[in-house]
Amino acid sequence: MKLEDIKKLANLARIDMDDEEMIEIAKSFDPILAYVGQVQEVSKIKNIDLASKEAKDYFLHNITRDDVVTNKREEYTDKIIAEMPDKQNGYLKVKQIL
Amino acid sequence: MIDLKDLTIEKAHESLKNGEYNVTDLVNEYLKVIKEKNSEINAYLEIYPDVLEQAKKAEGMFKNGTTTLMTGIPMALKDNMLFEGHIASASSKILENYRATYNAGVVEQLKKQGAVFLGRTNMDEFAMGSSTETSAYGNTKNPLDTSRVPGGSSGGSVASVAMNGALVALGSDTGGSIRQPASFTGLVGLKPTYGAVSRYGIISMGSSLDQVGTFGKTVRDAEILFNAINDYDVRDSTSIKKEDRLKPEILKKKIGVPRSFLSGDGTDPEIMKNFEESCEKLEKLGYEIVDVSLPLIKYSLAVYYIICPAEVSSNLARYDGMRYGISEEADNLYDVYTKSRGKGFGKEVRRRILLGTYILSHGYYDAYYNTAIKVREAIKEELTNIFKEVDVIITPTSPFMPFKFGEKMDDPISMYLSDLFSVPANIAGIPAISLPAGKNKDGLPFGLHMMAPFLREDILFTIGKDFEKLV
Repeated sequence: MKLEDIKKLANLARIDMDDEEMIEIAKSFDPILAYVGQVQEVSKIKNIDLASKEAKDYFLHNITRDDVVTNKREEYTDKIIAEMPDKQNGYLKVKQIL
Repeated sequence: MIDLKDLTIEKAHESLKNGEYNVTDLVNEYLKVIKEKNSEINAYLEIYPDVLEQAKKAEGMFKNGTTTLMTGIPMALKDNMLFEGHIASASSKILENYRATYNAGVVEQLKKQGAVFLGRTNMDEFAMGSSTETSAYGNTKNPLDTSRVPGGSSGGSVASVAMNGALVALGSDTGGSIRQPASFTGLVGLKPTYGAVSRYGIISMGSSLDQVGTFGKTVRDAEILFNAINDYDVRDSTSIKKEDRLKPEILKKKIGVPRSFLSGDGTDPEIMKNFEESCEKLEKLGYEIVDVSLPLIKYSLAVYYIICPAEVSSNLARYDGMRYGISEEADNLYDVYTKSRGKGFGKEVRRRILLGTYILSHGYYDAYYNTAIKVREAIKEELTNIFKEVDVIITPTSPFMPFKFGEKMDDPISMYLSDLFSVPANIAGIPAISLPAGKNKDGLPFGLHMMAPFLREDILFTIGKDFEKLV
């Protein structure tokens, strides 16, 4: 993998990194991707059709809950605000976005 | 003086009930050991300031007769479990100042039962690692040989129990993070069925793989702690409802060994020799050992290193320097994100986020993620079918003995291979346990790994207790 590609990924993932580390990551990606690429061999051994499986076989189904209030008003407000790095009058303060 | 080395939950419960000692006495004994050993071992990152208050509450339960087996039992929490009002950092710098605003489901249940949480234990950052070396807060040493790692990611939790600094502990397991460290420190480590134990309030790594589990010095201790948290939780949408949980069935007394999976040359010969001895012990106990063919499970680790980084890259998007955790000063919003995340995340975490970002990117999604989820279903099917023939499948827990610090840090693939035998259980969502299986001439422990069908933890306990008698 090229350094340029790693730079694009770091940008997508919003992580500030120096070139030295990105070169190291680029180097480590090749053996990792070769290793995980083994999964493609399986499709040669076995034809897997997910659509044919019944959802109940795998406990895969949507879980819904009633849309009701489960806690008291402002029960957690103070604790959550206390965690905010920057706040003003009970609001989270962020940099201008427009 | 209380003998902490051979103490079990049931023994402690009897003594607390008889008034031989009270909860505060017991807790103080553990605090003494921690004070003596933790500066070297670094099992705990913090001893909770309210430990003695918790002990007093548990004493109240003994006075008014509302105890359970867990009442007054001093235990450790992994640093990725939320305990209201206390720091939970996942051993990352990005959460160094994060104070939990609510209790995790498991914490709430154990609190109700009067368990005493001594402190939070060191781990690989966000549970990404197999040696606890990726923690932002220093290495944890293996109490059995301090030149070696305790395994990971739940390295602090196992070290706390192995150094007699806690009676039992909770860990979490995404690919082997309970079982491999249990094996490295001579403990019992249980990863329950996916959905058996609540994940509510556990800092997520790979949400389709993560599961909370238990550590003890005996199978019975790991079982008691599991029973205390084995419950449906409406706040975890993957939690299994009571009516869907299975009842125990009679054992076939047959144990499967996937010979072709074990025949690779990566496993330490000393470990294979010990494994053969374990098989003989199980035969002596009346179990029939049969060879089983599982051609697909060898792909589990490859599947894991696709699905897990993919889930990591989306789960860790929430740490952005906005609502909690560390936040770096910058001129604009984009730079606050990149600088906070750049400074807050360690190397291995950054690598995995980037790997997940790549795997999920438009051009590679089909080749990696889409293929991996298909292979995952095929592995599940393969394992489900084999359990029609055998009660459990056994392997060694890890292909390597506890290794030295730094030995695998520069070679990610070699580190990842630590989980070769433990990861299929996470891929399939089935329960698995690591049992102590003796020691080598240098006193380093071996682990025997056992996987059971969906929701059949009971089989692991039954066979585990049998095996324990012969080790």
